[in-house]
Amino acid sequence: MEVFESLGKIFNVSLIYATFRASTPIIYAALCAAITQQANILNIGTEGIMLVGAFTAVAVSYFTGSWILGVAAAMGGGAVIAMIMAVGHIKYDSEICAIGMGINLFAIAITKFLMQVLFNTNGTFSDPAIVPIPTVHLPFLEHIPVLNELLNDWCFTEWFVIIFIIILQFLFYKTVWGLRLRAVGQFPMAAQTAGINVNAVKYQAMLISGLIGGLAGAHLSLGYSTQFVENMTNNRGFMGVAAMYFGGANPVLTAVGCLLFGFSDSVGARLQAYGFPAQFVLMTPYLVTVIVLAVSMAIKLGAVKKKQSSLVTG
Amino acid sequence: MSEYVVEMKNIVKSFGEVRAVKEGQFNLKKGEIHSLIGENGAGKSTMMKLLYGMYPINEGEIYIKGEHMTKLDPKIAISHGIGMVHQEFMLVNELTVLENVILGFEPKKGMTIDFDKARKDVQHYIDQYNMEIQLDKKVSQISVGEAQRVEIIKTLMRGAEIIILDEPTAVLTPQETKKLFEILANLKAEGKSLVFISHKLNEVMEISDRISVMRQGTYMGTVNRDETSPLDLTKKMIGREVFLNIEKDYSKAGEKILEVQDVWVPSQKETSKIRGMSLCVRAGEIVGIAGIDGNGQSELIEAITGLRKVEKGAVILNGKNVTNKSPRKVREAGLAHIPEDRNTRGLNRTMSIEENLVAVELDKKPYTKGIFMNTAAQDKYSEEMVRQFDIRPTDYKLPTSSLSGGNAQKVVVAREVSMNKKLLVASQPTRGVDIGAIESIRNTLEKAKKQGAGVLLVSAELEEIISLSDRIIVIHEGEITGEMAASEANENNLGLLMMGGAKNTKQKGEEAS
Repeated sequence: MEVFESLGKIFNVSLIYATFRASTPIIYAALCAAITQQANILNIGTEGIMLVGAFTAVAVSYFTGSWILGVAAAMGGGAVIAMIMAVGHIKYDSEICAIGMGINLFAIAITKFLMQVLFNTNGTFSDPAIVPIPTVHLPFLEHIPVLNELLNDWCFTEWFVIIFIIILQFLFYKTVWGLRLRAVGQFPMAAQTAGINVNAVKYQAMLISGLIGGLAGAHLSLGYSTQFVENMTNNRGFMGVAAMYFGGANPVLTAVGCLLFGFSDSVGARLQAYGFPAQFVLMTPYLVTVIVLAVSMAIKLGAVKKKQSSLVTG
Repeated sequence: MSEYVVEMKNIVKSFGEVRAVKEGQFNLKKGEIHSLIGENGAGKSTMMKLLYGMYPINEGEIYIKGEHMTKLDPKIAISHGIGMVHQEFMLVNELTVLENVILGFEPKKGMTIDFDKARKDVQHYIDQYNMEIQLDKKVSQISVGEAQRVEIIKTLMRGAEIIILDEPTAVLTPQETKKLFEILANLKAEGKSLVFISHKLNEVMEISDRISVMRQGTYMGTVNRDETSPLDLTKKMIGREVFLNIEKDYSKAGEKILEVQDVWVPSQKETSKIRGMSLCVRAGEIVGIAGIDGNGQSELIEAITGLRKVEKGAVILNGKNVTNKSPRKVREAGLAHIPEDRNTRGLNRTMSIEENLVAVELDKKPYTKGIFMNTAAQDKYSEEMVRQFDIRPTDYKLPTSSLSGGNAQKVVVAREVSMNKKLLVASQPTRGVDIGAIESIRNTLEKAKKQGAGVLLVSAELEEIISLSDRIIVIHEGEITGEMAASEANENNLGLLMMGGAKNTKQKGEEAS
């Protein structure tokens, strides 16, 4: 009986929101990686873009008292970082993974440095003057028991991510720009001969990716929490990249992958309360990343192998 | 305004140190089919890519419909009515045919692409020229011939009046070629001006109005079709009469060196999958594999040389079972391999001629001394190879990236032949090399045979297969459709088998032998 009671406490209605809440920052990060992936650029710098965004959001919100300015500045900051990567990769033809890792290391260092300079503090910067992204309170839900718990008082950017997934899905598969983006990613020569400026499309993809990555960071530091902590992205950018792979850069499938991470994160957090070793619990999201990637790659490779086999008649 | 829709004058174009076009001239009249011929590497594709704005010219002038083009990129070229069907199709495999056709010129409806209008527009051209095209299939699912028709539709959709076709028949079966020529005749009747790049003289004689010849980047002249002959064109193309038909000596084939026993090999493409192939190569003979590109030649060679997994069957080399062994193990069993792509598999282009020459024997004496390299022995060997195979430049310390196609290929041939292995697999050994190198490479293969090696030769050039081989095996869609002595072979009976001729009369599923 005790076991069932415990399970009931872990797997209850609030787990649904907890999963979504934990997933949202990863979804933003994954979408940041998905848009460049469509142009065949692996944005390994998602983590760094996001971290810079998180810091910028907190700093601007603190100094101006406006969360909107904070978010906007974060997106701008993300875009600047992404454009540095874009120039290095597209114009000077350097390896994107090297630039991306460089950006990630740079982001950790510069945010730490600026935290020292601007706020005279180490580790964590938390202050009542930081204005968070507001939550959306729906009064009519107050008296509906389950829905109230599920849907009420979501952070603004949590609602927005759902709209955003749909926007990107539409952008990729229904618009002219999306068609060109995919053509550039899959066969740039074909796009070039069709009169498309391949590099321009790549720059655009990187720019939008930077804006999204900045937003991911802003949501993390002004929505998910209201503070800046050193290296607070804590590999969410990399998880986003992993989820993007899982979803094949398709926004909806990518988001599904992120929910898986959010789910394991939330369950893990609850398990901790029941005496599971903290180390194991902290490990779960990463373990899930490895397993999900391994399984999805194994399935893909299996399908390719079957398609190419001479023994199967097609 | 002149009578020409296109004029290219005194064109010069270099890629790095290679001068692809030294002195290019070309003009095109409205409503004509103008062939541009020349050997591989003569600069004909480059000339047309320059016209399409794929690269900027170094020197010269380009006029389109009388307008001097000072700046040219594909977008500008398209807007001036130029369309190009590239040798390698510019189609995105994972997109549908329709998406590919409208790419870059998408009709819009609000924020979205107006697929209904696109479909109607494309259908109009499909009907007008009576082409078979499935608009909703992904490009990866359609045949080569259909992909080519998609490319032609693409140029028409973009309003092309001038259509360049870069070696369009290289990948087609004879029937598909016939169909293509009908389409081209229709286009001409509609008043389109066509440029047809080829090195197949019979095709050129069949469809051209005028013919321009290029040799080694230089314009050699233009003639009317009715005033020339294939022999005349050959002389212009090559600069002299060439006898590539080497003295053949098919005395006696010895014991079996290579046996391929009912081998099944996977492939990305359905038509390239090998389904139950058996053949053998004996000592002292050259066996030629004939077939249209992409019918399993590459897969067969990769399976034999250990570069691709064999799913069923066995490869026996020198009495040893080397099925699914590593390339190194296969080489140790007696293989020498001239791969079809010298740039990716034949050579390390950033390393020197010498390093490439010793690459496969690097770990053996005398090229090593304990854990060190024996540079003196390597130098001696390289010097000998450079002299014997006439590799230019003779400085073997230079990187192979500085070599021309012919000389780069000579490095590969020198390395593989000098090892005196029992089996020499030569895949497209003369592709993209100049005529002098072709002669020397062919003689080298013949010499290897005389010294007792078994040679397996794959070539896209039927003429090469016929003149070099002792025995010819024809393959079609991964199965053997026929085998004959080279003395009985001609372009007609081989061509029929290459289209799958005999196989179609056999029971399906029967093993080809």
